[in-house]
Amino acid sequence: MGFLAPWFLGGLAALGVPVFVHLLRKHVTIPRPVSSLMFFERGTQSSTRHRRLRYLLLFALRFALLLLLALAFADPYVRRPAADANGRLLLIVLDDSFSMRAGTRFVDAKQQALELLAAKPHSQKAQVMALGGQLEVLTQPIIDEAQLRAVLEGIQPGDGHASFGELGRSIRALSETVRGPIDLHLFSDMQRTAMPANFADMVVPANVTLVLHGVAKGAAPANWTVESVSAPAELADPKDPKRSRVQAVVAGFGTPAAEKTVSLVVNGKTLATRKVNVPANGRAPVEFAPLDVGYGFNRCEVRIEGGDAFAADDASVFAIRRSDPERVLFVHAANDTRPGLYFGAALGAAAQASFVLQSVTAEQTTDLDPSKFAFVVLSDAATLPSIFEHTLEQYVAKGGGVLIALSTGAGQHARIPLWGGEVKDALDYARAGATATVGQVDFTHPALEQAQPGRDNGGWAETKFFYAAVVEPGQARVAARLSDGTPLLLDRQIGEGHVLLFTSGLEDLTNDLPLHPVFVAFVDKAARYLSGSERLSGSRLVDSFVQLRSPAEPVGEVASVEVIDPDGHRPLSLSEARTVQTFRLARAGFYQIRFANGRDAVVGVNPDRRESDLEPIAPDVQQLWSGSKGEASIQTATATGDEAKYRPVSLWWYVMLLTLVVALAETVLASGYMSTQREDA
Amino acid sequence: MQRFLDPAVLAGISSLDLLAKTVVDGFVAGLHRSPDFGFSQEFAEYRAYTPGDDLRHVDWNLFARTERCYLKRYRGETNSQLAILLDASNSMLYTSGPPKKMDYARYIAASLFYLAIKNQRDAAGLIVFDDEVRDYVRPSTRQGQLARLFAGLEQAEPRARTDFGKPLQHFQQLLHRRGIVIVISDFYERPETIVHAIEPLRFHGNDVVLFHILDPQEIRPVLKGPALLVDLETDQEIEVIPEYVKTAYRAKMDAHIEQLRLRARGAGMDYHLLVTDQPLDTALREYLSLRQAGN
Repeated sequence: MGFLAPWFLGGLAALGVPVFVHLLRKHVTIPRPVSSLMFFERGTQSSTRHRRLRYLLLFALRFALLLLLALAFADPYVRRPAADANGRLLLIVLDDSFSMRAGTRFVDAKQQALELLAAKPHSQKAQVMALGGQLEVLTQPIIDEAQLRAVLEGIQPGDGHASFGELGRSIRALSETVRGPIDLHLFSDMQRTAMPANFADMVVPANVTLVLHGVAKGAAPANWTVESVSAPAELADPKDPKRSRVQAVVAGFGTPAAEKTVSLVVNGKTLATRKVNVPANGRAPVEFAPLDVGYGFNRCEVRIEGGDAFAADDASVFAIRRSDPERVLFVHAANDTRPGLYFGAALGAAAQASFVLQSVTAEQTTDLDPSKFAFVVLSDAATLPSIFEHTLEQYVAKGGGVLIALSTGAGQHARIPLWGGEVKDALDYARAGATATVGQVDFTHPALEQAQPGRDNGGWAETKFFYAAVVEPGQARVAARLSDGTPLLLDRQIGEGHVLLFTSGLEDLTNDLPLHPVFVAFVDKAARYLSGSERLSGSRLVDSFVQLRSPAEPVGEVASVEVIDPDGHRPLSLSEARTVQTFRLARAGFYQIRFANGRDAVVGVNPDRRESDLEPIAPDVQQLWSGSKGEASIQTATATGDEAKYRPVSLWWYVMLLTLVVALAETVLASGYMSTQREDA
Repeated sequence: MQRFLDPAVLAGISSLDLLAKTVVDGFVAGLHRSPDFGFSQEFAEYRAYTPGDDLRHVDWNLFARTERCYLKRYRGETNSQLAILLDASNSMLYTSGPPKKMDYARYIAASLFYLAIKNQRDAAGLIVFDDEVRDYVRPSTRQGQLARLFAGLEQAEPRARTDFGKPLQHFQQLLHRRGIVIVISDFYERPETIVHAIEPLRFHGNDVVLFHILDPQEIRPVLKGPALLVDLETDQEIEVIPEYVKTAYRAKMDAHIEQLRLRARGAGMDYHLLVTDQPLDTALREYLSLRQAGN
């Protein structure tokens, strides 16, 4: 027997209370008058004995009540021997991450798992899970061995990146729902890169016995891989030397210095081949230029020729969409052409996409069709022809993008076209002799995205703003704020499209942003975000998600999305195609996607390159994780310790029930005693 | 009748006058006698004529029928004197439920006064005592005597402790004429002391009656647990256990009562134990029987 919370036994000190009350405290008796004591005799001694006898039961009940309460809080339990294995759950976790494709790792792991399942006692429950990009629960705890075996045999190696941290979190959550002990058997190559940054994340709870079955034998094999590829997602001019090129990095893990042949394959045809000297355990860049690809989507691949121990990671896929330069409609006030100049220059300097700026005044927009443009910019265009504004609303609802910049004209016209709100106030910092800077930037927003922003607030800290309009954000996402808290960049979703509202101008009168390098990056990313081209091609990682439709309620007829996976299958059912908002890219290869706004995309999906490092976790770390004492990582299911032979059975309910009974008895007895005292009084 | 003599009912009557009238009228009506009941003209006995007897008392009718000479004797018409000695010590305050012993004693005294003065035309007086004589109302039949007696009873609030020896000499000084002396007390004293103190009144030719007033709880006390008892007269405290009360105390109290009864009778006095939950007719009947006996 033991206590799950033994520190509550300190409450036993309260047992002194009834001892004090019953044995030490002087009893107070109310004197009772009589006519004469002539015939009475003193009987103190026998009286005291009688009182003690009479109070003994009450004392015992009170003593027991406090004792039981303290015990209940201490949560006592008894260790019952597990007469059979029914009380223990056999949890089989098979690693199906990308690295398990190397050699015979996955086959070995599955074979060992099947052997363990075969050795399982017939009455023991078992559960099967697969650890890939996420921990997939493939069965509930069941006894049916045939079903378990079928599920195990059905697991195929995936392209995801395993994380032992996620395994630890999931097992901790599972142990809260499964009362009994769990025997967790992990069949994995124990990749070092699967470890989380914090070891505590992968620790399993006390009632889980972790048994590691490592399938990586000996030292990690030498493995070269294409670690990264930098290529334009959109290409307008193949002869443009700045854009028409592919840069790749070849990395070696556990490799000697070697000369590797790297090829660029486009649509199955090798366009170019380069030889590169890769240092031992090092990296080497390789570049292919110019990039001669045809119109439309091109399925490209950078491949290391020659092969190695892990051939699956020798190639990296990506898609390039070649098209004519897309037009951008820039609507500006009639008297100011400078914003178009700055915006056009920044757009032309951007490397990732090709756009041609078409500047018009607000009055010239009457006959324009926005759907012919990649996106629309409204610069200080406080008033638009109503027909164009209506057309623009429909354009945005169907997935178009609009950037609105409020310049000095905002102070004269309160209403913001298309936005649906009004300008509350105009802050003229220059008139007050001061300037505002950018205080807060949401670097997760696609228009401002920076992986590792510098200390200068990603370049935004040096910009100065002399004028800004105050707009109520409402339900819009505030992507950037000025130092005084005024929203600078707001993003609002309307239908399938987005409207970005920049509360200052795109020229050098209201701010000096166009004079800073961050302006080019901002215009580039905003252009890609509004045109939607950033998700139409390029490359992604396995287990990343693509947004198929906006999370907003659909307006009018619901459009279907379509996804074709690398095997040519449609993973979405018809009903899912009409409702699903996001899709997980679970496989490596090319996905063809048709979004809800009707735009098509081809996306190349690559496994996480951390899977290419086949170095296993050090044995001592494995021992630390599994809690074993010097045994090799491979253990058998029968080698369970004392913990496995016994299971704790809590006595809390029984103690509380007994406490209730004693409390009732004490109440009745004390009540009877009190009434006797009243009668005596 | 019992309804008017029940102490619990009488406890609700605040006026002693009304209370005494209620008791006596109820008691007399219960005797099934005429309210004009008297003694003066009542036939007593026949006695054979002896020379020297007054010829006026010869029953000539009888002589005519039998030719024998008998004298017809009547009860003499005399007025008696009632003196009540009321114990007003603190012990008379005890009660286990209404009425108190003191109130019960007042009821008895008031009823007797009423009966004596209103019905029997007797002189009645009151001596209130504890450890000395505290109040004295001279026996009289004068107008307003009953009111004075009732006032004396009203003012007789218990205090101090009982001492029969000390006020004894005063009793003898105050009671010159023979009559009926009724002592009302709880008699928490040794029986020989009590009898020794009261005995001289008997020697003076008084008919002495002891009304021993006790609460039911004093005769058969019940204790559910050990208790701390306080003497009402001395404030002395002792702790007592129920077993003692159930056995030894009762035996002692019974012995005390029996001793008092025997010693009183031995000294020619009547003794009556009156428990406060009993009707008052016992006391009244005792008085009338004594009165009828020739006082």
